Amino acid sequence: MLGTLAIIGAIYICVLGYLAYSTKSKEKSSLHYLMAGSNLGALLGFFTFAATLFSTFTLLGMPDFFRVHGIGAWIFLMFSDAVMVFGLIWIGYSFRKRARKTTYYGMAGFLQDQYRSKFAGYVAFIGVFIFLLPYIAIQIRGVAIFLHATFPDVLPMWLWATAIVAIMIIYSEVGGLKAIMYSDVMQGILLLIAIWIVGMNCLNHFGGIKAMFEEVEKVNDALLSVPGPNGLFNFQFLLGSMIAITLLPYTQPQVSTRIAILKDVRSLHRMAVGIGFFAFLVILPTAFMGMYGAVLYPEASTSEFLNKTFVADQSSIIGAIVMIGLIAAAISTSDSQLFALGGELRSVLHGEDKKMVTIARIGIAIFAISSLIFALLSSDELVLLARTSFAGTSLLAPLIMTGIFFPSAHKLKWLPLLTLIAIFVFVLSLLGLIPNTVLAVRMDLALLGILTICCLSLILYQYKSPTLN
Amino acid sequence: MSDKRIWKWIKWAVAVLVVITFTPLVTPTGIYKPQIFGIPFTLWSGMIVSLLIVGLVWWGTRVHPGRNE
Repeated sequence: MLGTLAIIGAIYICVLGYLAYSTKSKEKSSLHYLMAGSNLGALLGFFTFAATLFSTFTLLGMPDFFRVHGIGAWIFLMFSDAVMVFGLIWIGYSFRKRARKTTYYGMAGFLQDQYRSKFAGYVAFIGVFIFLLPYIAIQIRGVAIFLHATFPDVLPMWLWATAIVAIMIIYSEVGGLKAIMYSDVMQGILLLIAIWIVGMNCLNHFGGIKAMFEEVEKVNDALLSVPGPNGLFNFQFLLGSMIAITLLPYTQPQVSTRIAILKDVRSLHRMAVGIGFFAFLVILPTAFMGMYGAVLYPEASTSEFLNKTFVADQSSIIGAIVMIGLIAAAISTSDSQLFALGGELRSVLHGEDKKMVTIARIGIAIFAISSLIFALLSSDELVLLARTSFAGTSLLAPLIMTGIFFPSAHKLKWLPLLTLIAIFVFVLSLLGLIPNTVLAVRMDLALLGILTICCLSLILYQYKSPTLN
Repeated sequence: MSDKRIWKWIKWAVAVLVVITFTPLVTPTGIYKPQIFGIPFTLWSGMIVSLLIVGLVWWGTRVHPGRNE
């Protein structure tokens, strides 16, 4: 097994190295290095968007989510993704139109322009930094604990994590965004192959879909409906998840960058439809894996279940392909996120471009090391941590949406400050220092609701106040 | 019907599907029957809703007012 993995892993790293080298931009300007020339076609856009969106959280987290919480996981992710792709052709269009009017390097810089306020950009950067870092960290941790569980005697967990981060730093620094996007094509295909091989093996174990659900019914029929055995998939959780995931293309910079640099609206539309179908293809086999785990390994820990389903119950070659698929999934999302953080940093800086790109590159390395430290300290709740990241960045949504849709956003001086306060309150609730509900409403939903009401009131006030208009 | 009007209807249709999903029509508490090919109710109805929305996305790209920009 280890030998097969070494061979396939070596091929994978060679292909990554080749892609990084062949696509690396000699011109290290912000436009070419950080924005890949801002001329992205539909096909490349589709693959890079898909690889960035579907990460370790999908490949490792979703099967476990189906296993523990049941089929409501479909509504949690696939339904939310479907609404998200609709948002792409609707809100994404307006965002793109606005962003292309300025020199877009990141959402923070975009908001600085729209609000004519440096503070607005800093708030966006702080929000993204606080909530994206844990997301990057869980990608790394997810794969590292999986590799360590599979090969306990080869390397300790922290060394697996360090190796993954090292590959990401080298690769991102050498190749720039273009290299990341080309590698996303390979990683997206790898992810799909790996997930379907294992998914079909899990389904074949039962002999068909009907037999699979009959077995699940015998073990725990609460898995077959919402809210699931632990009551997780209640109305508030599903609604909050849908809102957070729908807003993800604008609140998570690695995704918004890809929308902004698409060459035309036609590319955006084709990409959106492709993502919708791709999401279906990626999430469906994770349901098979989850049901398989619910029947065979209902009491196992997350890492035990993943190890058995992805490796122990597969042939060595499939196990090796799956592992490379996992590493690919983690790297393709994390490098995009790290790079996006670099882009966000660049977007709030002003000065000679070459110098700013250098600062952004140093920033990327620092972000990578910070995420490694977080990865070694965080918990194993992959999906819930990812959802926290989505919920956290979604608090930026009123600020961002106003920047996109309200031409006089610069008159809403209070909105950036209110957003910062909301982020701070949410962090306090996550740390357990204040309650995580307000009048029985989840804190993320409550804060988003309050921010939206404040935002609408401020806009209304602008329209009604002739002296300010 | 003009493209602009169809686009407006598509937005309404997606909104209706979203609302339906959060009602017992798609997510009834503790109910998994009727099943289709053994697939529990919320899963198959959720699949249909998801595919319908993606289908509306495809249709939306054909009539979106800014599609030629």
